[in-house]
Amino acid sequence: MDILAPLVLLAPLVGFLINALVGRSLPRRMVGWIGAGSIGLAFVFALLILGQQLGGQRLDQTYFTWWSSGDFNVPFNLYVDRLSTLMILVITGVGFLIHVYSIGYMAEDPGYSRFFAYMNLFVFSMLLLVLSGNLVWLIIGWAAVGLSSYLLIGFWFERTSAVLAARKAFVMNTIGDVGMVFAAFLIFLNLRVLDYQSLFDRVHQLPKGGTIITAICLLPPVGAVAKSAQLPLHTWLPDAMEGPTPVSALIHAATMVTAGVYLVARMHLLYDWAPAAAATVAVIGGVTAFYAATIGTAQVDIKRILAYSTMSQIGYMFLAVGIGAYTAGMFHFMTHAFFKALLFLAAGNVIHAFHDDQDIRNMGNLRAGLPITFWTFLIGTLSITGFPIVTAGFWSKDEIIRAALSASGGEFFLGILALITAGLTAFYMFRLFFIAFGWEWLSRDERHLHEAGMLQTLPIIILAAGAVIGGYIPVASFLSPVFGHATDVGTLAFWGLAALTVAAAAVGFFLAYLLYARRPELAVAWRTRLRPIHTLVEHKYYVDELYDLVIVRPALAVARFLDDVVETRVIDGAVNAVAAFVVLEAREFRLIETGRVRSYALVTLGGAVGIVLIVAWYLGYLPWKVGA
Amino acid sequence: MPVPAYAFLMLSGALFTMGAIGFMVRRNPLVVFMCVELMLNAVNLAFAAMSRFLNSLDGVVFAFLVITVAAAEVVVGIAIIVQVYRAGRQMDVDELDLMKE
Amino acid sequence: MVIGFAIVAAWELVTAFGVVAFRKPIYNALSLVANMLGLAVIFLLLNAQFLFAAQVIVYAGAVMVLFVFIIALMNPEADISFRPAGTEWIYGVVFGVIFAALLGALLFNHGLTGRPGAFAPAVIDAAGNVQTVGTALYTTFLFPVEVTSVLLLIAAVGAVYLAMRRIR
Repeated sequence: MDILAPLVLLAPLVGFLINALVGRSLPRRMVGWIGAGSIGLAFVFALLILGQQLGGQRLDQTYFTWWSSGDFNVPFNLYVDRLSTLMILVITGVGFLIHVYSIGYMAEDPGYSRFFAYMNLFVFSMLLLVLSGNLVWLIIGWAAVGLSSYLLIGFWFERTSAVLAARKAFVMNTIGDVGMVFAAFLIFLNLRVLDYQSLFDRVHQLPKGGTIITAICLLPPVGAVAKSAQLPLHTWLPDAMEGPTPVSALIHAATMVTAGVYLVARMHLLYDWAPAAAATVAVIGGVTAFYAATIGTAQVDIKRILAYSTMSQIGYMFLAVGIGAYTAGMFHFMTHAFFKALLFLAAGNVIHAFHDDQDIRNMGNLRAGLPITFWTFLIGTLSITGFPIVTAGFWSKDEIIRAALSASGGEFFLGILALITAGLTAFYMFRLFFIAFGWEWLSRDERHLHEAGMLQTLPIIILAAGAVIGGYIPVASFLSPVFGHATDVGTLAFWGLAALTVAAAAVGFFLAYLLYARRPELAVAWRTRLRPIHTLVEHKYYVDELYDLVIVRPALAVARFLDDVVETRVIDGAVNAVAAFVVLEAREFRLIETGRVRSYALVTLGGAVGIVLIVAWYLGYLPWKVGA
Repeated sequence: MPVPAYAFLMLSGALFTMGAIGFMVRRNPLVVFMCVELMLNAVNLAFAAMSRFLNSLDGVVFAFLVITVAAAEVVVGIAIIVQVYRAGRQMDVDELDLMKE
Repeated sequence: MVIGFAIVAAWELVTAFGVVAFRKPIYNALSLVANMLGLAVIFLLLNAQFLFAAQVIVYAGAVMVLFVFIIALMNPEADISFRPAGTEWIYGVVFGVIFAALLGALLFNHGLTGRPGAFAPAVIDAAGNVQTVGTALYTTFLFPVEVTSVLLLIAAVGAVYLAMRRIR
């Protein structure tokens, strides 16, 4: 029986338990290193699994039967193949770096042990989600991840805004969970199995492109859309930035939000079989990518810009898996994990340097004060915009665009959209860079900024390295055994398309350079000229307000009605009525207790007469109605 | 036995009814008590009659036990009535309603 | 025998009426004594000699004596008015009449229903009534006898306690 996979799960779980139960009494350093160490240990195990996978086949191991009722069996089984190996490597690797960073970043925080406990819980849940071998445990992991996200977004629970954001995230996630559960129902109803292996074997029994399989494939995306913050269930992600920056880096950039992508990739056999659903996923991805990028151009909070950037990049991943380019999508997932985590952690350093101010307009010209952060952030920005050849982002993003553009039909237009989005990405990222970081070298800085300690700089240096060389990791060939069919979807000349992408990015870069580095007054002028568009974009297309009007207010009205009318009058009224009735009857019955011998005797005598009558009637001695 | 069984039983019934009516009508507690004794006697008569006519000893034995218990009851009841008298209350069952509610 | 029974039955009914109807309590008590003695005679008629003795000694001899003593001691007045307070007495009379009618109707025609036992009068007389009853008391009915004796003890204790002077 293979033990590596459960060990990967066990390490963060043990870390969670230790920190949760006794964390408060342990010294701070120990708590931090237990938290980070458990993830590091999991990473080591993941590397061992990688070694296993490179040699052999995939592994579908059942450890015990969790639940069995009649012929419905839910085992606890773990499915380890190259796809899940990639996922766990990224989760534990990047996760470990983020944990180490947190040791320094959260050092002043009173809830130190709680933080690391929650973080470990999250990693455990995410690993469970990824390693699970059947739909039930997937959903369990899915829900647990949502829980961890809620706990971590609302980590600073004294802040109302944080609590509200956590609640919003959880509610939207739950909507997604409903979709997931219904998908499981449908699958079980039609195919009578819930574990992956049997599922994959039986998928072809259903008619290709038929309503059943399309329905089955449309439901998990509901969950994925909620979890990965795509349109229309995306409004929680910007608000989720209320959580501490490491949380944003780990959960809302590198891992949890990519769970949806993993899901579609895992179910690729189903999505191959239901092209309509796959197309829907692609469209959602493409549109979200564009939509989020436009919003990102008008935001002024550093973490929010990064949040919209995440939304946009995940849109790319959805687009990829939707059109069948699974390896491209997973490749982008990996590179995105590197540079997005890097960007967030570097942003965290900047935020700390400015004493928790997140408005980029108050920053600028950090080259001298925060050198390491400055250069690593620059590398991250270059990666995300796809700077040719030397950055990982170039390779992964390009694969996706290439796959889209070489396909026929509607996917081509999505490819065009992705191309435009690439330009927008360059624009808003460099806008961010120029405004927040600037290019000038200040010889004398009034602000007395200092660079963060090693715990916070070493991880981002490592991530920066990943953002550069990650493009050379042969993900595509590594994953091709999983996805069976040819993964190289593109047929157009590779370099021609690459040039197109780079051109789009270059346009964005130059626009940003012009507006924000060279001629800021132009930016102001343009903003006034394009005021209506700018306002629309700045307010995120008013989606939040729309939801509030259409969904939140009616729901609150219904709740208020139920409370005032149903709860108070009907339910409480019924209970009170019963009590009142009892009191009434008691008052009546009390009068029997007169205390007078004679009334008691009368009652007794009456009773005696009654009994005699009954007995006589029963024995048939009475003239009428003989017998009982 | 030339006298039929029902004669004894009807006598017993008549005595019992008279005791019951007396119990309901009289006000002096002692007299009420005496009516209770009358009722018990009637029951004893019924027991003895049934015992005779069914060739059994159960009735006789039970009547004997009833006598014993009645004696005990009378003792306690009289003691209570004496206390009531000594307390100066009215010797009238209608007035003695301290057990109200 | 029948005439004897008729006379005793009449005696019973008259004295019972006396128990209920007399005004002065002492007359009630004496009526009751007479009633009990009549009942003892009926027990003889029913071949229950032991019961006859018990009735005379215990009931008429001890219990009624107690009653008479108490009445003599307390000297309660006669019921001043025969009109009872409240309206229960009407119900009582009504119920009583109904009860009597029922009993009469039932007992007149249907009287005894039961499976005869083994103790025919001849059998009892052969061994002697007291002996037979005594044997039954101490074998078949041992438990009730013991319980009754405990009850007597409790009653005695209770009476002593109640009779202690508590009101000064």
